Amino acid sequence: MKVYSGQSSSEPESTPERVKVGIAEYEVTTDGAVLTTSGLGSCIGVAIHDPSVPVAGLLHVMLPTADDMDGNPAKFADTGVETLIEALESEGGDPQNMEAKIAGGSDMLDFSESGSGIGQRNAEQVRQTLDEYGVSLVGEDVGGDHGRSLRLEGASGDLVVKSANKESSTL
Amino acid sequence: MNVDIQSLGTFNQLAHEGAEQATASMAQMTGIAADVDVTKISLVNREDIGEELGDREFVGVRFGYEGELSGETVLVFDSDCTETLVGELLGGSPGEEMARSGVEEIGNIMMSGFIDGWADYLGTTIDHSPPEYVEGTGAGILPPAPADAESDQVFVFKSRIEWLEESVEFYIYMLPEYTPLAEVMAEHADTESDAIPIDKLEVFNEMTTDGTERAADNVEMMTGIDTEAEVSQISFAPIEDVPKQVGNDTYVGTVVEFTGVPSGFMLVLFDEASARTVAEAMMPVDVEGEELTDQHKMAIEELGNIMTSGFVDGWANVLQTSVDHTPPRLVHDMGQAIVDPLAAQVGQHQEHAFIIDSKMVTDDVAFESEIYALPNEQELRQALDELLVERADETEADAEQIFQE
Repeated sequence: MKVYSGQSSSEPESTPERVKVGIAEYEVTTDGAVLTTSGLGSCIGVAIHDPSVPVAGLLHVMLPTADDMDGNPAKFADTGVETLIEALESEGGDPQNMEAKIAGGSDMLDFSESGSGIGQRNAEQVRQTLDEYGVSLVGEDVGGDHGRSLRLEGASGDLVVKSANKESSTL
Repeated sequence: MNVDIQSLGTFNQLAHEGAEQATASMAQMTGIAADVDVTKISLVNREDIGEELGDREFVGVRFGYEGELSGETVLVFDSDCTETLVGELLGGSPGEEMARSGVEEIGNIMMSGFIDGWADYLGTTIDHSPPEYVEGTGAGILPPAPADAESDQVFVFKSRIEWLEESVEFYIYMLPEYTPLAEVMAEHADTESDAIPIDKLEVFNEMTTDGTERAADNVEMMTGIDTEAEVSQISFAPIEDVPKQVGNDTYVGTVVEFTGVPSGFMLVLFDEASARTVAEAMMPVDVEGEELTDQHKMAIEELGNIMTSGFVDGWANVLQTSVDHTPPRLVHDMGQAIVDPLAAQVGQHQEHAFIIDSKMVTDDVAFESEIYALPNEQELRQALDELLVERADETEADAEQIFQE
């Protein structure tokens, strides 16, 4: 994880830096960088913004819970949300002031015959962990049967959701 | 000679860290922010190495290394981005001579980091030769595959590095000689229980080639387009890197779940242009416009179905078992978004995945299709265990026939 602070942009009017967030990764920005992540199917993108600092972060999780699997916390909804919130806190964020938006969790290509699909379980787990930390969920675009790509404007906290076959929308 | 899943995982991690170290060295030197996108180990036929480089022009820096591992490694990047890269390093617009020494310098720093990472892990020293500047087209930029003739297939470690500001990619290829690598892998194997004999992995690769041949035949029968199976490889990567293999262009295709041993998912994907071409070849009337209509999609669904059947028949034949699959589901979406639900389903039980990747092309029309299979890792191991030696011999014979053309 890298924290992007403004040293690279010397001109105040230059376009904000773009930072790509891969699968099972997260990034945090304190200088209004644009954080993007692409190709979410059943994966979920979690965007959290604390306007009082301001600080913003974007996380791309793949599976609901870490259970006994070790490895990268950002791969799972429970440990991933935890990790992102803590990273925002260490940049001065406060869960009380944080606003979360989530997108993804499609149930496309879910072959499971029993129980709910991974996309849905991902979304439920993200909501639950946000709730445990007292972070309010202010917008979501989840489910359906299409993929999504996300762009989080670090300055405003706007989350732009794009799909292959649909108009983009802003949460 | 056996390799186990653990040591494949470790070696993959090692290659990834080596690539990250190399990228960090470059970032420090040039101020360019870059990210290691994917690292994977592939077992590939020697004539197919570097196929993904197409016919673009590349420059690069090549090293030989020897010690516990020996072979060659090369850092390659698009010729087009040399100027920018070297410009960042030296400032201004460098002449050709300067650009070349800039590339050498960057290459030297990056690749020393890469090799040192490996040596550290193995607790040994790996000597490397001075960097050699190379230019070439497509796979021609890569060193010749290691010459030890034990096998037609070679392990290739491949990292793709993406430059954040621009759409420029670098690649690091490492081509170790087979025997020392296999020995090192066997030494670093933690347990015997989940070991896969390397020769069986090769058989599996050949099986996939057989399957792709059949799928290509089916396409030919149905569309009348002369189609050839081009590349088959089996790769190993962390589960979260699996969706990245496909990229984010929009694809049309079909997905099935297959059951049996192994179980898993199989995808047949066409880029949109190929989908239109191939679908129209199957339609009785000409279609106007650039849109993908429902008729196009129905044709793709049918084609996906027969390609899947052909592919699965190839497997079942070698394994002497039946492999069933669900009816195909049609998909039309961002490539990565198509693959991620499948990777997630497989990833509930395993941290790494084998990805079977085949490609077919034709000379007549612009048409390209990729077949991916994501088998359950444990079941793949079981299937390979059960693969009788005689059957393996038969596949080898099949594979030879295929390669003779």
